[in-house]
Amino acid sequence: MKLDDLAALGARDEPMMVAPEVFQQLGTITRVLHDTMGQLGVMPKLQQATDGLPDARSRLSYIANKTADAANKVLNSVDQAKLDHQHIADATHEMAKALMADPVRAVASGMVLNFVKDVEQTTARIDTHLTDIMMAQDFHDLTGQVVTKVVKLANDLEDSLVKLLVQVVPPEQREVVDQHVLHGPIVNPEGRTDVVTNQGEVDDLLASLGF
Amino acid sequence: MSTDLKFLIVDDFSTMRRIVRGLLKEIGYINAEEAEDGQAAYQILKSSKFDFVVSDINMPNMNGFDLLKAIKADDELKHLPVLMVTAEARKEDIVLAAQIGAAGYIVKPFTKATLEEKVQKIMQKYGAAA
Repeated sequence: MKLDDLAALGARDEPMMVAPEVFQQLGTITRVLHDTMGQLGVMPKLQQATDGLPDARSRLSYIANKTADAANKVLNSVDQAKLDHQHIADATHEMAKALMADPVRAVASGMVLNFVKDVEQTTARIDTHLTDIMMAQDFHDLTGQVVTKVVKLANDLEDSLVKLLVQVVPPEQREVVDQHVLHGPIVNPEGRTDVVTNQGEVDDLLASLGF
Repeated sequence: MSTDLKFLIVDDFSTMRRIVRGLLKEIGYINAEEAEDGQAAYQILKSSKFDFVVSDINMPNMNGFDLLKAIKADDELKHLPVLMVTAEARKEDIVLAAQIGAAGYIVKPFTKATLEEKVQKIMQKYGAAA
């Protein structure tokens, strides 16, 4: 129901079941709220911010997908590189044993040459894995741009909602804060005494409590 | 060091589960399963025997604190050591975890050395090390 409809309802001539004063009062309160929010510039900004929410959801999904793909790509490459590295380590160990036992036989049998070729091929594969790891970082540039846009949207929305809350929340409720909200990573720990910045501080805190 | 101990890794991010699993493997613990939140973890814990839980805190459905409470309130599970590995760095969260009964607390990002040190320390305390 729009404000004008509400006003018309309050002004009509037909007999009403509810006292007209009630509608009049309700209309007045709603009008005051609407005008106040309009004067504060909350509504247009809030509307703009909420319009952007579906877009923000898709942007955040995009970030989640890009970072997950990159992380998996890196972990897969690391797994492969570690296998290749282990292969070289094992082959080197065997080569050393063969050379210690009978150097002439090791060379004559082609074992040394095969080892050199094997190392050459394996290090080339490791180099490819390292390049893949480096290339997997390309998500950062893309997600960084998207994050900037989402942060701006979140700021606009927060700004609008705070203004709205200040207007409508009863004074006694303004200090009530949900104590169980989890905050996630601390982005700006500088100057804060309520957070830890490294594992040493965690250990010290727990030790001071007897844990 | 007993390397046949069974770990449950609880984190809503598959990459973090994979990283913790990989680090545990490098430390010498190859027997691990994964759960994507506290609710799934609790069900897995009730259906199979585990020796150690490594859990994130901020997760959907059931967070790490609620999982820890559920474990400590369960007679069959309350002996299980639970190591919290989380980005929650507020002192009150660390204290709360300790009060509920966490065996240890690691803040992300962390190193392999930190994880190894905490796991060993907890193993010694809980008498699980061979």
